[in-house]
Amino acid sequence: MATNTAVDVVMPQMGVSVSEGTITKWMKQVGDHIEADETLLEISTDKVDTEVPSPASGVVSEILVQEGETVAVGTVLARLGGEGGSASAPPPEPPTQPAAEASEAAASEGEAAPENEAVAEAPPENGRAFVSPVVARIAAEQGIDPTQVPGTGSGGRVTKKDIQSFIDSGAQPAAPAAQEAPATPAPEAPATPAPAAPATPAPAAPAPSAPPVVQQAAPQSAPVEVAAQVGETLEPMSAMRRGIADHMRKSLDTSAHVTSAIEVDMSRVVQIRQKLKKEYQSGYGVNPTFLAFIARATVETLRDYPWVNGEIRGDKIVTKSFVNLGFAVELADGKGLIVPVVKNAETLNLLGMAKAIAEIAKRARDKQLTPDDVAGGSFTITNPGGYGTFHGTPVISQPQAGILGTYAIVKRPWVVTDANGADAIAIRSIMNLTLTYDHRLVDGAYAGRFLRDLRERLQGWGESEY
Amino acid sequence: MAEKTYLQAISDGIRGEMRRDKRVFVIGEDVGVYGGAFKVTLGFQEEFGAWRVIDAPLSETAIMGGATGAAIMGMRPVAEMQFADFVSCAWDHLVTVAAKQRWRAGTPVPIVLRLPSGGGFSGGPFHSQNPESTFAHIPGLKCVCPATPEDAKGLIISAIEDPNPVLFFEHKHLYRRIKGEVPDERYTTPIGKARIHAEGDEVSLITWGAMVYTAEEAAKQVDASVEIVDLRTVMPWDKQAVLDSVRKTSKVLVLHEDTRTGGFGAEIAATIAEEAFEDLDAPVKRLAAPDTPVPFSPVLEKAFIPQVDDVVGALKELISY
Amino acid sequence: MAIARVAEPSGSLQDVKEQGLDREDLLQIYRNMLVTRGVEERGHILYRQGKIPGSFYTGRGNEASSVGVATAMGTDDVGTPLHRDMGVHITRGVEPWRIFAQYMGRADGPTHGRDGNVHMADANLGLLAMVSHLPAMLPVAVGCGLAFRIREEKRVAVAWSGEGAMARGDAHEGMNFAGVRRLPVVFICDNNQWAYSTPTHLEYAVEHLADRAQAYGFEGVVVDGTDVLAVYREARRAIEKARDGGGPTLIECQTLRMEGHAVHDDAFYVPKELFERWAERDPIERFRSWLRDNVDMTDEEEQETASFVKKLLNDALHRAEESPQPDPSALLEGVYATPEDLDTPHHK
Repeated sequence: MATNTAVDVVMPQMGVSVSEGTITKWMKQVGDHIEADETLLEISTDKVDTEVPSPASGVVSEILVQEGETVAVGTVLARLGGEGGSASAPPPEPPTQPAAEASEAAASEGEAAPENEAVAEAPPENGRAFVSPVVARIAAEQGIDPTQVPGTGSGGRVTKKDIQSFIDSGAQPAAPAAQEAPATPAPEAPATPAPAAPATPAPAAPAPSAPPVVQQAAPQSAPVEVAAQVGETLEPMSAMRRGIADHMRKSLDTSAHVTSAIEVDMSRVVQIRQKLKKEYQSGYGVNPTFLAFIARATVETLRDYPWVNGEIRGDKIVTKSFVNLGFAVELADGKGLIVPVVKNAETLNLLGMAKAIAEIAKRARDKQLTPDDVAGGSFTITNPGGYGTFHGTPVISQPQAGILGTYAIVKRPWVVTDANGADAIAIRSIMNLTLTYDHRLVDGAYAGRFLRDLRERLQGWGESEY
Repeated sequence: MAEKTYLQAISDGIRGEMRRDKRVFVIGEDVGVYGGAFKVTLGFQEEFGAWRVIDAPLSETAIMGGATGAAIMGMRPVAEMQFADFVSCAWDHLVTVAAKQRWRAGTPVPIVLRLPSGGGFSGGPFHSQNPESTFAHIPGLKCVCPATPEDAKGLIISAIEDPNPVLFFEHKHLYRRIKGEVPDERYTTPIGKARIHAEGDEVSLITWGAMVYTAEEAAKQVDASVEIVDLRTVMPWDKQAVLDSVRKTSKVLVLHEDTRTGGFGAEIAATIAEEAFEDLDAPVKRLAAPDTPVPFSPVLEKAFIPQVDDVVGALKELISY
Repeated sequence: MAIARVAEPSGSLQDVKEQGLDREDLLQIYRNMLVTRGVEERGHILYRQGKIPGSFYTGRGNEASSVGVATAMGTDDVGTPLHRDMGVHITRGVEPWRIFAQYMGRADGPTHGRDGNVHMADANLGLLAMVSHLPAMLPVAVGCGLAFRIREEKRVAVAWSGEGAMARGDAHEGMNFAGVRRLPVVFICDNNQWAYSTPTHLEYAVEHLADRAQAYGFEGVVVDGTDVLAVYREARRAIEKARDGGGPTLIECQTLRMEGHAVHDDAFYVPKELFERWAERDPIERFRSWLRDNVDMTDEEEQETASFVKKLLNDALHRAEESPQPDPSALLEGVYATPEDLDTPHHK
């Protein structure tokens, strides 16, 4: 029973609800010897006053709490340093618990970070943005963007059944579950806005339809088994292609596409352009392209027809005091499309417009377009006529309400009326223009008047107009 | 194999055990001469005598305390509260002594407490309750709630075999109304294992007791594949079976006749939310009686006990979510 | 107006011999009483040293009643002693080191730290662990008697209650059932005059609690609870009567609770004179005198007994202090019993 280890004397708990006690009297001082069970001190609690017997024999080595002090139950009051027998060692410590391992919660799952050049604009695809836990899990496991899945649940949400059917049907989702514009910032060299012969006035390479400026996160498919038959070859769809496919489909599903066409006698523009070419090139290093003229005239006309520059948002019509004019640009080798936007085109004169167009074309060619460059358009001009076609029905770039298609300028025999009212046949440079508009917002008459006014501007271009 | 009522199956189960093991005895009010208020022990006293089919005084304490002491001394009492509602008079010995004796003193208490429970026949507030959640909450007790005659016999035998206090909730409204095929031989139904009453893959309906039949009717009236899981045991409950079903269907309705707040469905729903969150395609739904005592008048009782239409409504909501 | 029979005090050695106690038995009784008190005194010190958690209860003044009744029980009889009945555990053979381990909540206590105080029992010694709700164990003891009756075994169950607990329905319902069925149960009421701070006149309105036995159809006896041999005599008589199918008896043992309800209670509400008066009737001192006078217990024998007890308790304390604290990771074990748990003497 002899021990040299120090023994603690603690404040006892005199009753279940007692939490503290007061020392009323120490019977021994530091240095005094005491026997086990001999009274060492007296205490007072709520319930009772009592003596505290020493837990061991030994010499009092420390007194830690003085008479009159109140301390919590279990507080060490004094220590006995040990020579001689100790009736009892201090109670064994309770077994220590193994340290709980802190585990870092697994970080993000699901959405990958959007590629930075991508344009992220998310039109509400389904009626509700809510994705249930099981759908989120399946989507993450399969690499599907749930917002790309048609939903039949309440409010249009995607149900577990919906996403399972989507997977089972082998539907090809597009890019990874990220908000990425399939229109990558790395287009191949687009056709420069070089005015070709009248046959090819278009600065932009043929872009039959509005490229997906506004791009949803195109869903990426898990590998779905597709087999080539004899004589067939398979190649994967690029992210851009998938994005385009998706956007085209969505646009046609959203807007009520109607196209009206008008023929424009561009002879005057041709003349003026000839005159300005030298001046622009030597003075400003830029070409006065047909596109610049058309763009200038369009911007002016849009001022009078705001709905063509407008948007349906929810159940409201949005009209704008600015024109952010997008120009469709084809990427080389048919890789895809991109539509850089000239912001606040209404502030540009002809020269400014020509310069802006040249600049974005260069940046597109050099793969230097930023997400900002392709975002925020309010109207788009596209030139499907670069290869000689005279008519087309482009697809509107959502959420816009219209897109202007320009076509080949062709020399044609034309009936002209002279000042005296006599008709004669002349050779004129005729260009077809189409306005494809969203009939939800724009009616035929409105569109017709827009085109009439646009033609007037182009046919009556004043020499001094810029 | 023979077709038996739910009541007959229970009676046969107990009788078989009493013939087989002389430690088994029955104690309760009016169980002997009268054969039990519901006639579950009809004919027992004639066969086994007055010291194995004991007509206790009107004292749930004497019954419960008596059964506890006898079980500690090696007997296998099958005690009865005449109605489950009277268990509150026996609460102390059940919860304070029987439930805790094994854990704290190493002494097993192998008793069965039969509790005729449930409503649907204007029994009123004191003859219709389903108190299983109260006792599921007490560590040391087991609670079984058979729905079919076959399970009733198998579970009463398992309960008698089990070395723990087992509360056997026999639903009064099933006694004579429900018949089924019951094997003649002795068999046990495992305590703690659920049974798939109907297979399905669009909605899981978790329930027990008389509600199994309400669920069955309701499932016929919806245009969806409903999986009905009969828990059979409320404590310990077959969590795995429930989670497996939820994983399959991703939509779940928990149904019980007991009142809603703190009813055992709450424990099931919380567990599903904790452990199957990523399998859910809809919030976990519960359907239960409202938080009132059981009403007496048939009109009120119908508004209290979940009806087939109520279940149909809940299922439809889930299906269309 | 008493209804119950008042027992005679203990008489001569002859008297005692007729009940089958020889000198060795008597010295053993004395030892048991000393160990009982010693365990509780020791525990009291441990508690004030902070080594015993929770609260601490003693049965100081009840040594004769508890040892007396337990001595009268047969080997295969069972009982449900309460917190003033440490003497029952000692007499039935529970080792003091296990009692200290129980007090200190150690792994080797009978409940492995899961319950405290005297909430313990060695089932092999025919004892059932009490609960705090009193007298919940009374109907349970009746249930034990029921088992004996069903199986027609010659065994008896002894149920303890305090005088305060006799106010509860459990006591009534248990005794009624036992009386109705003439079960082999003996009811011991430890009447120590104070239920915490509540005196007897606020607990019952009859002269003696033993009077109530008549209401249940059996005999009630009042006995001086500080007279161990009188207690023994009455207990033996009742236990053998029950064993022979004579039904229950209610024995009220009168004494005074010499300490507070628990260690934290200084019993200021008990008149000092009462303590003084009953101190003169200290059960151990009474019996020591009787032994000196009636069986010539010698100084050496007294000395030996004292040393024996002291050593027993010191060794017990050391052994208990070496017992480890219980392992928290085992907390969830044993909530439910397994079939293996039924392999106990009771389930033979």
